[in-house]
Amino acid sequence: MIVRDDLADAHREAWAHLARPGSWWTAAQRIELANTALGAIRDVEPLPPWASVSAVEGRLPGDHVAPAAAHDVVYRIARHAATMTEDVYRRVSEQLGALPYVELVSVVTTVAAVAHFCRNVGVDVPPFPEPEAGEPSGDVPDEVVQPGYNWVPVRAPADQLAAVVQAYTAVPGEFLNLWRMSDAQYMPSHEMIDPGWTRRDGGLSRPQTELVAARVAQLRDCFY
Amino acid sequence: MLSWSSTEQGAPADLAVVADGATGSGVELGDELVRFASACAGSDDAELGEARRALVAAADEEFMVDAAAVAANFEMMTRLADGTGAAMPPERIGSSAATVEAFGIAGLTSRR
Repeated sequence: MIVRDDLADAHREAWAHLARPGSWWTAAQRIELANTALGAIRDVEPLPPWASVSAVEGRLPGDHVAPAAAHDVVYRIARHAATMTEDVYRRVSEQLGALPYVELVSVVTTVAAVAHFCRNVGVDVPPFPEPEAGEPSGDVPDEVVQPGYNWVPVRAPADQLAAVVQAYTAVPGEFLNLWRMSDAQYMPSHEMIDPGWTRRDGGLSRPQTELVAARVAQLRDCFY
Repeated sequence: MLSWSSTEQGAPADLAVVADGATGSGVELGDELVRFASACAGSDDAELGEARRALVAAADEEFMVDAAAVAANFEMMTRLADGTGAAMPPERIGSSAATVEAFGIAGLTSRR
């Protein structure tokens, strides 16, 4: 099977990105949480949304380096994202921090994209790279504010972009990773206003692209 | 976006058909794509294999890979939206009323 270069490169870079220190989590923590996300996605007998994966014997490494609360919310978003509520977000972000929470969501979304792509085309998910050494950077934009259209804080000015676009702006490394992947998987963001856009002659038309998008979003119970 | 893009392209998609996972959406290769997207978001590996083969037969492998990538993108974006509490401005919800009705999503927990 041939996967176009930009898509393969985006996924390779996404895996490498997971294995580097983030803004708020070490690489070892990120890879550990990525494993929890992948396990949740693959789980043939998933835990219910209200259950904590950390409370189930044997589901996490005994010597886990990320907090149990981080694993719990990673599992829930990976497997039951549509059941997330603002109360859950408030509770978790008070415990872990709002921007570390954003980075956790990004770990999940990165894993979900690559893992589902592999399943969709019928190949194995590549192993995660070994985590790199180093401390989180603590990078924060100059001004972070609370938007009207997300629970999570974003880079100012808020609500000038769609909620899904601004969601990761307060954690710049995750924002860049997200849009590198989206450009390759869906379409370059500057083409979104073109209803006639296609990646190549004979490729998916825009309505064909949106049909797939709509069907997946519906089956994930995602209102947005 | 499906309603907008298909209308702009001169062949409005039947949203109710897509929402039902049925055939006859009005989109070229729509039957194969609905089946493939449904299988991608499902848990039946055998059905996914069949849907993948049907899409390759109707188009080609490169087309299937692109559809698989779009499906993967929305595994990513749906979790992003629901994990970060993304909401649409009221005016956009208002303009999407037909889509909300066709897809039967008005009562979802993820509506904010």
